Amino acid sequence: MEGVLLHVFGLMERLLPFSFAEPMFMKRALLALLLIAPAAAAVGVPLVQFRMAFFSDAIGHSAFTGVALGILLGVSPSWTVAAFGAFVAVAITLVKGHTDLSTDAVIGVFFSTVIALGIAIISSRKGLTRNLQSFLYGDPLAVSDAELLWMAGLLFTVGVYLFFAYNRILLLGVHEGFARTKGVPVRAVEISFSLIVALVVTAAINAVGILLVTAMLVIPATAARNVARGAGTAFHLSVGIALLSGISGLIASYYLDTATGATVVLAAAACFFLTALFRALRPAG
Amino acid sequence: MSAEERLHTLSIRNLSVRRGGVEILAGVDADIRCGEVTALIGPNGAGKTTLLQAILGQVPYTGEIRFCRAREHGEGVPRIGYVPQQLPFDRDTPLSVLDFFALSQQRYPVFFGHSRRVRRSAQDSLDRAGVGHLLHRPLGRLSGGEFQRVLFALAVRDAPDILLLDEPVSGVDVAGAEQFCDFLSQVQRSSKFGLLLVSHDLSVVTRHADQVICLNRRIVCRGATTEVLTPENLASMYGGEAHLFRHAPADGHGHLHGLPEGKG
Repeated sequence: MEGVLLHVFGLMERLLPFSFAEPMFMKRALLALLLIAPAAAAVGVPLVQFRMAFFSDAIGHSAFTGVALGILLGVSPSWTVAAFGAFVAVAITLVKGHTDLSTDAVIGVFFSTVIALGIAIISSRKGLTRNLQSFLYGDPLAVSDAELLWMAGLLFTVGVYLFFAYNRILLLGVHEGFARTKGVPVRAVEISFSLIVALVVTAAINAVGILLVTAMLVIPATAARNVARGAGTAFHLSVGIALLSGISGLIASYYLDTATGATVVLAAAACFFLTALFRALRPAG
Repeated sequence: MSAEERLHTLSIRNLSVRRGGVEILAGVDADIRCGEVTALIGPNGAGKTTLLQAILGQVPYTGEIRFCRAREHGEGVPRIGYVPQQLPFDRDTPLSVLDFFALSQQRYPVFFGHSRRVRRSAQDSLDRAGVGHLLHRPLGRLSGGEFQRVLFALAVRDAPDILLLDEPVSGVDVAGAEQFCDFLSQVQRSSKFGLLLVSHDLSVVTRHADQVICLNRRIVCRGATTEVLTPENLASMYGGEAHLFRHAPADGHGHLHGLPEGKG
């Protein structure tokens, strides 16, 4: 598998004869963003429809506990972060479906619990805080080959999942009861979608960190909603804005010497404000 | 073979629904036959919408709901279409009417475009509902009446055996309601599905229904429209507040206008 990566890097060498693309870490970062940004933006479209931004934030913050568990168990934190994120995602979805509590109250409880648990474990061990730093802020410049392969697998999984489930997810996003009368298996779609969100969020943490991970999912989709009138346009615009802000953010961070994850998010935010302006100026009708 | 056997029928026997310890429906018996319009009337809180939800399998119930399919139509579960009274959704959703039609019919995702079959059937059923021009409009920009027609067109597209309509003319003006009902009976006559119509508007009921079920947690009475809609029955159901008068049969069919619950 690593051989495939070498070929990809060789290809990038030839296609991108620019100074910013020369260092190996820049090639890795570019590849990471090209893999994770479209996956996050594609999942983001229904996520915004479901008003699940807070949900993805809770999954992101579950990485505190995920990292701590990984170090406690002596396995790579990437695995425990993904597994614990998936666990929290399913737990929230199940609890939400079985109580009359409002969704944000349920998520709020989980949100605080996973942060508290993570901090409790980390504070009991000296020397863990440094390890946590990289997860808090993320850094696409420090992505390893293994993580790149994991992101490629994730993009493929998200693509296959959305191919088969996207229409049902959107119908569920319009109205749950109505979707049920049209034969949508509501609970199965909810649980599978929350699992996919958990996978995307935990992988995107590598690029932008816990604090900004929700931005990768929410900002491109919200920017697309500002201007799109149909489902197709919304999806393609969201993915396009994610790729554009990923590439331009990476290049800008190279020349401005700023944190890459943060610069990528700022580029996406700029797209949001531009589309919001466009929406405000567009004649009604 | 008698006429009865040739029709499919949704038969409901001894249906009861309890929610939170409160009995919402008790011992309901009814037959909804294909090719007929059955009106379901009753005061607010009578359990009309709950009965629809039970038929759709969306609330737990005791008793039996069985679909007896005429032999020549083959076996299988009935297709039940449903047009809800209202469908609150996010008006800002980037979704066109065509997208909305594609979501429940197309296998591949809508962001790869729409199949020719989806396009054709959507245009066709929208045309039949008189709203063919709405195909490319964003769903969130439709008026209440337009949206209801789109929902109706979508329900008809899937060739239902039974179509459930919850208050199809609420929030539509009188002329719009008449137009919609005429169109409804036209589609219904050509498509031969069974129509269960929940309505407050007794003029709609008397003009279009073959059979009436009066519901108030249990069946108050049921039967042919002309036999059931007597002032006595309505008084016993609406608590004597129904003011009923008979129109002169100027348009060829005399019909009743009622003002249950003091509303117009």
